[in-house]
Amino acid sequence: MEAVKVQDLAVNDLPWKIEYNAERCTMCGSCVASCTFRAIKVEVQRKSVTVSEANQPEPIHRQLAIPVIKQVADINCACRGCGMCERVCPNNAIRAVRNPDNRRNLFSNRPIKRGGRTNLNAQRTLDKIIVGRISQMTDPSLDSIRHTFDIRSPLGRILSPKELPFAISDGKLVANKKTPPVRWIYPLIFSDMSIGALSTRAWEAVAMAAAYLNERCGLPVRMSSGEGGMPVKLMESDYLKYFIIQIASGHFGWNRIIKAMPRMKVDPAGVLIKIGQGAKPGDGGLLQAEKVGPHIQALRGVPKATLSSPPNHQGLYSIEESVQKMHLSLNAAFGFRVPVAIKCAASSTSVSVYNNLLRDPYKICGGFFIDGIQGGTGAANEISLDHTGHPVVSKIRDCYNAAVEQGAQGQIPLYGGGGIGMTGNAAADAFKMICLGANGVFCGKILIQLLGCVGNEQGRCNACNTGKCPTGICTQNPRLVKRLDVDKGAQRIVDYVLAFDAELRKLMAPIGNSSLPVGRSDALVSTDKAIADKLGIQYVC
Amino acid sequence: MMKINTTKHNERMSTQDLLLMIEAAVKAGETEFDIAASGQHDIGGPLWHPDGRTLKFHVTNAGQRVGSMCLPNTEIIVEGSTSADVGWLNSGGIITVKGDAGDTAGHCSSGGKIYIGGRAGTRTGSLMKHDPLYEEPELWVLKNVGSFSFEFMGGGRAVVCGVDSEEFSSVLGERACVGMVGGVVYVRGKISDYPADILCLELDADDVKFLKSGMNHFLNAVEKSELIGELSDWQQWKKLRPLTFEEKKPQVLPDLAAFRKSDWVSGGIFSDVANDDFIVLNTVNRGVYRLRVPSWDNAKFSAPCQFFCPIGIPTQQRLALLRQGKIDEALKLVLKYTPFPGSVCGTLCPNPCMEGCTRGKIDESIQIGALGLESARVEIEPPKVSTGKTISIIGGGVAGLSAAWQLARLGHCVTVYDDAAQIGGKLAQVIPHSRISQDLLKAELQRIENIGIKFIINCKVDADKFNEICDTSDAVLIAVGGHKARYFSWEGAEKLTFGIEFLKTINRGEKPHVGKNVVVIGGGNSGMDVATSAYEQGAESVVVVDVMKPAAFPKEIRRLENFGGKIIYPFVTKKITDEGIFSDDGKFIEADQVIVSIGESPVLDFLPDDPAIKKFRDWLVADAEKKILPKVFAAGDVIKPGRLTDAIGDARLTALMINQFLLGEKITPLPQKKIVPSVNLSKKFFEKCHHCDLPDPMHEHLRCVSCGTCRDCKICLNSCPEKAITRIQHDDGSLEYVSDESKCIGCGICAGVCPCGVWNLQDNLEEIKMYRTYEAS
Repeated sequence: MEAVKVQDLAVNDLPWKIEYNAERCTMCGSCVASCTFRAIKVEVQRKSVTVSEANQPEPIHRQLAIPVIKQVADINCACRGCGMCERVCPNNAIRAVRNPDNRRNLFSNRPIKRGGRTNLNAQRTLDKIIVGRISQMTDPSLDSIRHTFDIRSPLGRILSPKELPFAISDGKLVANKKTPPVRWIYPLIFSDMSIGALSTRAWEAVAMAAAYLNERCGLPVRMSSGEGGMPVKLMESDYLKYFIIQIASGHFGWNRIIKAMPRMKVDPAGVLIKIGQGAKPGDGGLLQAEKVGPHIQALRGVPKATLSSPPNHQGLYSIEESVQKMHLSLNAAFGFRVPVAIKCAASSTSVSVYNNLLRDPYKICGGFFIDGIQGGTGAANEISLDHTGHPVVSKIRDCYNAAVEQGAQGQIPLYGGGGIGMTGNAAADAFKMICLGANGVFCGKILIQLLGCVGNEQGRCNACNTGKCPTGICTQNPRLVKRLDVDKGAQRIVDYVLAFDAELRKLMAPIGNSSLPVGRSDALVSTDKAIADKLGIQYVC
Repeated sequence: MMKINTTKHNERMSTQDLLLMIEAAVKAGETEFDIAASGQHDIGGPLWHPDGRTLKFHVTNAGQRVGSMCLPNTEIIVEGSTSADVGWLNSGGIITVKGDAGDTAGHCSSGGKIYIGGRAGTRTGSLMKHDPLYEEPELWVLKNVGSFSFEFMGGGRAVVCGVDSEEFSSVLGERACVGMVGGVVYVRGKISDYPADILCLELDADDVKFLKSGMNHFLNAVEKSELIGELSDWQQWKKLRPLTFEEKKPQVLPDLAAFRKSDWVSGGIFSDVANDDFIVLNTVNRGVYRLRVPSWDNAKFSAPCQFFCPIGIPTQQRLALLRQGKIDEALKLVLKYTPFPGSVCGTLCPNPCMEGCTRGKIDESIQIGALGLESARVEIEPPKVSTGKTISIIGGGVAGLSAAWQLARLGHCVTVYDDAAQIGGKLAQVIPHSRISQDLLKAELQRIENIGIKFIINCKVDADKFNEICDTSDAVLIAVGGHKARYFSWEGAEKLTFGIEFLKTINRGEKPHVGKNVVVIGGGNSGMDVATSAYEQGAESVVVVDVMKPAAFPKEIRRLENFGGKIIYPFVTKKITDEGIFSDDGKFIEADQVIVSIGESPVLDFLPDDPAIKKFRDWLVADAEKKILPKVFAAGDVIKPGRLTDAIGDARLTALMINQFLLGEKITPLPQKKIVPSVNLSKKFFEKCHHCDLPDPMHEHLRCVSCGTCRDCKICLNSCPEKAITRIQHDDGSLEYVSDESKCIGCGICAGVCPCGVWNLQDNLEEIKMYRTYEAS
């Protein structure tokens, strides 16, 4: 008789169940040894049966005690579905299966925190949009492989021709005033994942991929640091020019960034002021104490503690202030040589913010980054991830259209992010976003997925906040960090971006654009009437 | 010669009419045409003479695609310039344009020759091909060509002579030869960019031979033979050809590992805060990189029997010794903890050890009480050494005797003072003989005496005697227990009989006064003893009252109920009269005798009036070292009323501290072990045993789970997938299992299969020095 109470938590209450085949199991121990969550354990199972083998009842009792792998029925050790057990099992004896009947949310005595993306609003507008205008007899298409393309986007404030400070002197056109700094960069920015959220190896792999794409492949890809500071050695190197340094509400890492300034040989690619992020608008960054290792403490200048960045920059009280004060300080920090952009979570108010930036008389904002609900995060309250946020696609469109109405399109480059590449093809996403008015896109989650992250939007893993990341990407535990192959990870990112580049051409060619088709919404159609109407593109069926 | 004028009276002949007319004439045998065209398309092909004779066309003012799809044996001469697509899909014709050609000249031609006497437009020569069954197509251009020339070219030879083209930055226009995979382009004059997979080479002998042999024909055809000298300086020529498939190596970029080592920030960008060798670990690992480590925690945890025993008797170890066949050792082990395994464990104790027993969760608890009886008559040798330290114990009850037993066995000189005529305290004086065999008790008391303890009985210790004892002893233990009956100042309390006196009288062999209808106040074990004794002494009815649910053991309550006694609760006594007893809520129970048995408090009149002595109500409060004065200790009921086992356990701990005190060691209480977590035990190994099949107590090791203590079953040894576990038999007879960290992967199979919960799996806390907060100097 087993002593089980109906209200006890059982494995069938958990989001993932372990499917185990004892007959296939060799008891090699690999699955239990590799599980970072202690979600499985070894236990002895008893088979106590009375059998009869004679022609009449002649009971023989048999007792067999056998070791088995068993799932742990404990909310703190709940299986996350990462699949490491299946990966290491030599005999296909074990795997995690999603439990549609799980009651996990009913067993928590505090708000659930996790990483990853929204698991509730994973449906995407971009997947309802098709590149529908294929030039055939009307206008010439290009050959995506053999023709040449100019795939670059501005980062920095672009002046309208009439604002350009040119004068004629001795019959020549000369600039009589400094113009805002502008960098022409690849339209795919490696987006801000902090040192801390990512392991040192993961961050380094992304950084190395960015540098390699510039140095070896000629793609001017830029990477944003995230709010956990910058590696000092990187700031002292020539590679700094490929990096956008972020400042967020926690201002983490600026202790070392400022100290490193005298030793910087080159300027960074830009500065990104992070006001908010799409995964958890209204929340600041969150780094659970489990991940605040000694090096993170050093880079951020704080002791081991759960680091919650304030929801707001504490010195900013209005849009005007954020534009003037924050942009001014960060422009000044690098001698007005480095473009300064701002990143906000997509919101009902995004257009107002963009209008405000466009009207800024000092022309000091070098880019507006809008982050949508499908953005990822290393740690957030699940309620924020699943129930707050705003899709990014229509916001990019609205902002672009607002600029068009004022004749100011392109003056403050628009970058959209949040879910780019979520369904596998970032190039298609980027192309559609660009056609709707973005100058480029930024992506984060897909980068760590390229490194080996197994998390997804169907509740798989999402344990980025626990410090127990099975792939060594979102943890600072050396035992796990050392699982990650920096070179292989960087290689995957490089390969993906090279494919991205080829695929972007594959979409630019048929619409006949050899430069980025910013705002060419005529290239897009939608089979969804509401989306077509909202975005002002052709409805087709 | 057929002459065709395509305009007549301002009427233009359509392309269709012209082509049908030419086709009909060819079929009829015509071979030569002189056509004054007016922009008609597709003049010249595809046509063939029925007898295979050569067809000749002389055309003026041709439209697009002159010479399209020409077959061999077709020769076309176009006067002046012409429009786009000259020689489109030409398959063998010789087409001469004396002036300029439009865009896409020679497009897709795969045979024949096309001569352009001027410039050619954009995409000239694009997609030319060479079918190896036939001669290569040739395209000769005297001057230059427009942009995107020779795009996607697959075969044939093109010649761009660059005459009169100095004004152009490239005689091939921009983006020439994009996607070219075959053929060759000879060019004279400036060229700008061409793709990386195109080679720009000097001419070799075969090239010169080809150009030499073709140039005269070309120049003659376009009537520019005077340029032969200018164009025959082969030093001015280059040729462009694509890399062959074999030559084309897929573009190999250096891999990222190489990039990191040679180009990336040396040592990594985090090398100021991280010591990273970039070595990649397996998902499953050994040694320091294991996620978890096993530990063999033999006897680190208490078995439930030990944990719940107030004395802390490790019964699992007794059974382990039995399992090993060490019967004598097994029976003697309990005597390290108590001198009363028979009287208390086997007789009076309700055995909380058995309540927690893991085996009880499988079938029935191990028969621990019965096992105690087996040790009742085991003799032990007196101590062989003497420390010379003297200790006096005031009180010869369970606490005093237990402490004396412990201290004497440690070689101290122990004297026990008791005011009674015999030692044994309540065991002898109060507990009814019906509950305990006096033979057994006597034997165990005798065993205590036998190890060399001095008893001074009938000695009432008063203040003077206490001082004397203190002066003559190295340490003193007060273990007088509780002998003063407690009661409250109820109305009529003077009518009460004291339970303890009632029982003592009986045990002295005297007959106490007993009423007909007796009420006992107090439902503890002593209350039950009083009540059952009252029956035995002749009472007709006995009622036990209590303010709450009686605390007596079920066994004792059953004894009372067997006599016909009743228990009433809650009953808060208000007054006692000659008629009986009243509760505060008006209940009345008729009684001619009311006996109170709600506990006893100690009699401490011998203690000095010293403020250093702390008390809680009537009881002494000892410090953490169990002392009440510098060398005076206290144990048992004098501290806190409790069960017999509480007194024995307390006395043992106190004795061990006294021992430390006497030896001048630091006094440290015995560390309390935690109970073995029941989830660590693998109960599934044990088959349920039918009650009928229970073994005798001396064979209970067959059923004992051996919680927290290794039973040496070797299942870990056999189950470890990495063969990391070794069994070590030490010279002193002890046993150890060791896991080799260089083999162990931290899977925890050992912990999972260990029946005893001895193997445990913990997170690997060994520090890996990977991160630091400052740059190493």
